This record gives sequence, C-alpha cells and structure tokens, in this order.
Amino acid sequence: MNRGSCLVWVFGDYGDYFQNRVTLQLIAKGKSLAAELDTRLGVVVLGEDIGQYVMEYAAHGADVIYAADHHALKDYDVELFTAVVASWVGIYRPEIFLAGATVFGREFFPRLAKRLQTGLSADCVALEIDKESGAFVQTTPAFGGDLLADVITPQHRPQMATVHPGTFRELSHDPFAIAELIYPPVPELPPRKIEVIRRRQERAHKASLKDAKVVIVGGKGMGSKANFEKLFQLAEILDGEVGATRPAVDAGWIGEERLLGQTGKSVRPRLLITIGTSGALQYTSGIQGSETVIAVNRDPSAPIFSVADLGIVGDADRIVSLLIEELNRRL
Amino acid sequence: MNLEPNMKQVVIRRTVRSDAENFLAPLTAEMDRTGRFPKEWRSFVAAKQYFGLEIPKDLGGAGLDAVSACIVIEEVSRVSPAMGLCISVHNGVALYPLHIYGDDYQKENFIRPMAAGDSIGTFCLTEPNAGSDASALETTALWDGSNYVLNGTKIFVTNGGVSGVNLIFSGIVSESGKKSFTLFIVESERKGLEKGRPEELMGMRGNPVCSISLNDCIVPSENRLGGEGQGMSIAISTLHGGRIGIGAQAVGIAQGCLDASILYAKQRIQFGRSISEQGAIQGMLADMAAKTEAARLLVYRAASLREKGLDHGKQSAMAKLLASEAAVEAARLGLQIHGGYGYTKAYPIERFYRDAKVCEIYEGTSEVQRMVISRALLK
Amino acid sequence: MHIAICIKQVPDIAAVRIDRERMTVVREGVQNIINPSDYQALSLAMALKSKIGGTVTVITMGPPQSEEALREALAAGADRGILLTDHAFAGADTLATSHVLSKAISRLDPAPSIIFCGNNTIDSDTGHVGPQVAEELGIAQVCGILDVQAESEQTLLAKRMGERYIETIRVGCPVLFTVRKEGGTAILPGLGSLQRAFSAGSIISWDKEELGLSDDETGLAGSATRVWRLRATPLKIKGDIITGQAQELVQAILRKLESMSLVDEDQRHE
Repeated sequence: MNRGSCLVWVFGDYGDYFQNRVTLQLIAKGKSLAAELDTRLGVVVLGEDIGQYVMEYAAHGADVIYAADHHALKDYDVELFTAVVASWVGIYRPEIFLAGATVFGREFFPRLAKRLQTGLSADCVALEIDKESGAFVQTTPAFGGDLLADVITPQHRPQMATVHPGTFRELSHDPFAIAELIYPPVPELPPRKIEVIRRRQERAHKASLKDAKVVIVGGKGMGSKANFEKLFQLAEILDGEVGATRPAVDAGWIGEERLLGQTGKSVRPRLLITIGTSGALQYTSGIQGSETVIAVNRDPSAPIFSVADLGIVGDADRIVSLLIEELNRRL
Repeated sequence: MNLEPNMKQVVIRRTVRSDAENFLAPLTAEMDRTGRFPKEWRSFVAAKQYFGLEIPKDLGGAGLDAVSACIVIEEVSRVSPAMGLCISVHNGVALYPLHIYGDDYQKENFIRPMAAGDSIGTFCLTEPNAGSDASALETTALWDGSNYVLNGTKIFVTNGGVSGVNLIFSGIVSESGKKSFTLFIVESERKGLEKGRPEELMGMRGNPVCSISLNDCIVPSENRLGGEGQGMSIAISTLHGGRIGIGAQAVGIAQGCLDASILYAKQRIQFGRSISEQGAIQGMLADMAAKTEAARLLVYRAASLREKGLDHGKQSAMAKLLASEAAVEAARLGLQIHGGYGYTKAYPIERFYRDAKVCEIYEGTSEVQRMVISRALLK
Repeated sequence: MHIAICIKQVPDIAAVRIDRERMTVVREGVQNIINPSDYQALSLAMALKSKIGGTVTVITMGPPQSEEALREALAAGADRGILLTDHAFAGADTLATSHVLSKAISRLDPAPSIIFCGNNTIDSDTGHVGPQVAEELGIAQVCGILDVQAESEQTLLAKRMGERYIETIRVGCPVLFTVRKEGGTAILPGLGSLQRAFSAGSIISWDKEELGLSDDETGLAGSATRVWRLRATPLKIKGDIITGQAQELVQAILRKLESMSLVDEDQRHE
C-alpha cells in the first residue's frame, strides 16, 4: 500500500451521526475501493468536541481522519462546511469523495461539487472500479428505479457520489484500530446566513399508505383484532403505515381502506414487513414494487417467503411484541 | 387536417383528470349508493369554471373552445358519469341557448350566476306523453296581457333537484288555434314551479333527476328566450350541441371502463399468470380501445364543426349514436373482463354498466339519432 | 419583491415502462408534466406573492415543448415565463444545467430576492440543481422546505424537514429554497386561467448566444459526468429464511432495519 497517499474520502455525516449508519457503511466500501487503488481511506469530520466521532470512525476502519474541531463549526451550515472542505480538497486532492445520500448529504455535496467544478452522482446503489478501464463507476437508479445508470466522471476530480443508505455493510467495530489524525488548516469562514430558531423532534408529514416509506402488513396469522392493533404501534415507531390482506379485512380487524393487493391498493415502500400473511398472489401483486420485504410466518413453506428478502419463521404475535419491546428500549 | 390536440387541450385534459381523480373519485361510490349530489364537489369545480366552459371571460366563464369543453366533460365522466352529465347538461343545453339567443338582460341575470356555478341549469323538454316526439308537448303558455302563465309537467329533468334556472319548452296556442313553441327561462324559486322527488334511477345516481310541474306559473316577458314561436328552432340547435356533450360524456364512460379493465386485467392472476396475457382478454381490450377512439374522433369532429359555425346536425347525431354505443359496449366487455368481481360493487365497472345505458336513451334515443342521420342522407 | 422559480418538465414516471428485452424506455402515451416538487415550489411562491406582493418569473431549461410547462405555470399565477432552449443545452448533467440556469437568473432585472426550486425531479432525482444554482450565484440555500413565510421585508422563516426533525429557519434575502413535494396538495389552475395562459400569456425564449454562453460550458460538453451505460435493475434475488428462538429472530429483523438506517444501532455495546 502506498502509505503516503490518501485518495479516497468519505464525509463523516454531521447531522445524522449515529442515527445513521451510512457513514460507517461508506467507510467499509471506501476502504475496499482504496485498496484497489493502492491508497488509503480518509474520513472528514467537522464540528466541536468531535473526539467520540473520530474514535468511532477509526474503530470502523478509517485510515486517516481529517478533522476540524472548531467552535464556529459546532452547528452544520452548508456554506461554512463547503468553504472548509473545498479548501482541504484543494490541498490533498482526493480522487474519490463519498457521502451518504441523507437529507444532509444531498444538500451539502451538490454545493461542494459545484464549488470544486466537478461531477456528482446521486443516491448511488453500487460503486466499483471497472477492471478494464479503471474507471470509477457510480451506479444510480433512473426512471423511478426501473433502470440503473452507470455514471463515470472522466476528467474532473474528485469523483463525487452520494450513496443510498443501506447499500453497503459496515465493518465490525474494532476498538483497538488506529487512524492517522490530521488537523488541516481551517480557512477564513464566511458569515452564517442561516439561523435555526427551532427544532422539533417530529415528522411534519404523515405519509399515506401509498406513499409510506415503511409499510407493515398484517394477515389472518395475526390471530385476533387485539394482536392486529399492535401493528399500529410498530408502524408508529418505524414511521410507517399499516396495510392488511383480504382475510384480515374480512375478519373485521381493519377497514377496507387499508386493503392491499388486487382488490385494494398497491404500495412500493422502501421496507415492507408482512406478518402472518400466507402470500396469495392476489395479495403479493400489490406489494411487488417494495424495495425490501421482511416476511414473518409460522409455516416455512408459505409462499410469502418466495418474495421476501428476509424470511422469519416464527409466531406472528410473539415476534411483533418482542420487536416493539426491543425498538422501544432503543428509543 | 389536424387531428392532434393542441398544447392547451393536452394540459386541460391532464388538469381535469387530476382534479377528477383527486377530488371527485372519492365521492363517487357514496354518490351512487345514496343518490346524494356532492355539494363539496360543486363548489370546488365552480371555482374552476367547469360551470361556464364556453362562456366568455367577461361573463365569468372559462372561454374554452368546443373541443376543450368536450375534453372537460369526458374527463369528469371518466370518473363520475353522473357529474359529467350535470356539467354536460348545464353547459350544453342550458347555458348554450342562453348565450346564443339571450338578450343583454338575460345574459347578465342568468348566465353570470350560472357560469359562476351559483345556479345550475336545466333544459325541460320531455313530458309524460312527449319524449322523442316533441310536437306532442302539452305544456302551455298563455299571455294574460302583462305576463305569461305557464301550465304543464316536465319529467326526467336532469339536474332538476339542484337547479336554479330552468328552460321550459312550452306551446303557445294562437287565436287561430295554431300551436307554436316558445322557450321560457323559469327560476326555481318562482311561484307556481314545483319540483317532484328525485327519481330512483338505475344509473347516473347522484344527479337529481326529477319532474318539474308548472301550475299557473306567472313568467314576465323578459324571461322569454327568443321570440314567440322560435322555440323549436332554438331547441333543435341546442340539441345538436347537447348531443356533442352527451357524446363526450359517453366517450369518457368508455374510457373509464377501458382504464378500469386494463388495471384489473393486469392485476388479476388466474392459472398462475395475469389474465392480461390471455388472447380473449386482449381481444376485448382492443375492441374497447378501438371503439372508444373512433367515437372520440367523431365527437371532436362534430365539436370542431360547431366551433367553426358550420352545420353539424348530422355529425353530432353520428357522434352521439356511436359514442353511446361504444360506452355501453365498453361497459359490457369491461364487466366481462372483471368476471365475478365485476358483478359486485367492489369495482367501478358495475356502476359504469348501469350508468352507460342511458346514453343510448337521453338527448334523443339511438333510434332518433338514426332518424336524424338518415333524414340528412335522404333529403 | 421579485421571485424566480426554476421548473422542469418531466415524463410522468408512473406511466413510463421499461422494455427489459430491448433496454429502451417506452414513452408512448406518457405525458410530460411539471415536476411535482417544482409545482409545489410554484404554489409556495404564489402564496408568498399573495401576502407580500411582487412578481414571479418562471424559468425552465429544456426542448421547445417545455413551453407547455411555462404556460401551466402562468395559469397557476406566475407573471412571466422564460424558456432556455438550445440544441447545445442537450445532455447536460447538473453541473452544466445549474450553470445555464444561473446565467439566466443573473440576467433578470431586478435580481430576484428569492429563488425557488423543487427538491428533486422524478426522472433523474439528483436534487443537485438547487444547491448548485445557489453556489454559482453565491447566495444562501435552504433545502427541503415544506413552507415559508415572510418575517419582515428582508427575512423569511422557512420550515425545513431534516432526517428526523423539523427546523424553523430564519434566513435573509437573497436566498434559494428547494421545496419538498410533501408540503401540501398543489392546487391546479382553473379552466379560465389555462385558457388565458395558453392564448395570451407571454413567454420569452433565450438561447446560448442570448445568455453569452460558449459551447464548452453547456450540454454534454459542459458536463463533468457521463452516463456510461444504462441497464435494467436486476430482478430481486430473494434472501434467507431463518428459524430459531423468537429473540434471535427479532435480532435478525433489527439488523436488517439497522442496515437500512431505519433504526439506530443499539447503543449498549454488548
């Protein structure tokens, strides 16, 4: 390995430290890209009292950490962050620079890319170095996800991308890992133009079933109306909505308006958890656009498992109750 | 010859479709079940000028061309034929004659509130003993020296239950005993006008169709539309336009049936695959689509002739005849595609099936349309 | 107060199909619409205008038929539309697109105090153009807002949605906002407004020369990225089916949720 260079960078997501694993996922991916390019992986961290984040990123595999521990950077501000990071890119000239496609990453990285006059691809679902050409290929969904576009940045550097959370798997936590810590110079900072005067810990928008990012579906296997109603607690915690199959509706546990499938609504959430549903085609036709499906059913031969990314063979009510308990404990 | 819609018409279709799907669709099942006319939709579309499609801006209308007006009626009917009917009748046979034949007083006093949607219009022709044969009408108007006195009963009055302005087609018997026809504008609150209870209809439920009876109803001469004896010619020209509106409505119903059936055919799995992969279903969808498109072009042709001020009696009869047959056929095939589910109220096709039929009956039955067409051919 | 809005006409994605055998996008019967979050931006601009007055200029870059989108915006209440159209603009990535838009905005007189963009488009979904226009113009940006109100002559209060919280932000003019689609139901124009916008509304058209742009600044030539190839999204390969103690099964679900960043990782390091 070329110990001197550190040409693959990941931005340590600021607004979403530890609520969001995507930085750690990117460290893992960035590290393997760096290995292919015979260089090291750097993580950029800005803020005040950032020691714990530096430790965390080191423990998850960062080789180098570029940090600014500065009172003026305590709260995120897109123009301040752009000024600092752009000047560092000018000094160290990384080849590749990644950030999570979070609300934060998607407002900061475009501005940074523009300042650096380079290309940026959005919400990538795959990243790789093409063996033949050596190009850094950034794969991004197009046309609502039905197509994938492989994007390259032929001339401009760094090659920048924001990455869809959950695309890569983070490395295991190694408390003894060591990273080189660098404090590059902080340039003169522009004035703050934006003042956050209030912040509320809640969502403004309650998605309808059709637009929900998370959908919890219950079927006849929930066993009773009381059990079915626990799905609403689960949906609440995951900020999702509740759907149902025909047998659950017919049992009177839930209204027709939440019916999914051929005679009901179609949904295409990021995550669909389907519980106690056998997987009749009349139902699964309404959920086929879901990005990730977790199915819970007592019967290991239930057809629902053929559409699931993760199949859980177990008692619907028991799993739901435990899951709610566990999620509440973590809140 | 240009058969493509222009940019404005494309946007109008998209806008009305979106409004109908977002604001009208949720009301349709209840409307059909209870027969309730949805007031919330009325105020919504009034603001958007659906009640003044071809009325110029200075009278408070949208100022659309005739083809654009058809597109609006079509898109509303695609979601709710009953509301499409309301708009079609209000614009096509109530506002239209007022706008063409009304004097300044009438335009200001009747068109303005109607175009704003504050007052809904009717066209009252049919009587218990006079349907297709308009000359058998029994409603009379007598001049008492200062006013007209109207007596008679009109039935199957579309929009009747919610109307504010009614065009009453009535006979005037001269001293020589000769009967001539005259149109009167009669406000619903006028003394002597009485509305019957809404009919229990097979389809188009939610449109309050009722009877209107006139018992010594005193109407001032400024409420006479056109001259004495001009009623028949106004009625004929009105009905030519009205048929285009009903044609547009039928096209909307046919399209609604087609769209619902495509959606269902793609979702419905039998024998392990979607029924849309079966030749028999594909054939039905193709027939529905071809007939709908043919009817649509006929309707637009008739509308554009009217827009240009050209004779369009035969064309509008053809359009109305084929469009209503296309609607009935599309509902029949669509229900067949839906199978057993189609026979339940779980899907809109059952409602379309009931709604479509009347298109072959009102504004001149299919038999009357054939008569109009053949007369034009054989004259 | 002069408000500018950048909009884009996009294919109605819900109706677009992909022919997986031929690897083509089937656009037959697909309508072009104003990108939904751009439309929401337009609605916010109109609401702001109705409170504080001023004029609203709508700008779009696209092929000549994008005029349709501008006229729809006029129908919704905008005062004038500017169409940026030139063969040389085709194939632009967000770097080149934001350059053309910024050039056009800097020509506006008076300079707009507020610029609105949609948060993201439904066709390419990058969300880059807003922040990149703000950068080129050197003004403040607030992305992902749901609503904005005027606080005083020169300051605004915007409600912005973060990952897990809503912020109220005070910002001075000039500022660029990107607006989320979820802010509310966009109110579509009435028929009379459409009729007038399509028969009488005024549209100005600017091309490359008009904007003083050279060939290498726009379109594909001015872009930093290239689409190397398009391919169909691989059909989903289904995952594991696991059995075990309920507690273990729940842990498996939680790991999945963590990997999707839907829940925080357990803070207790066991």
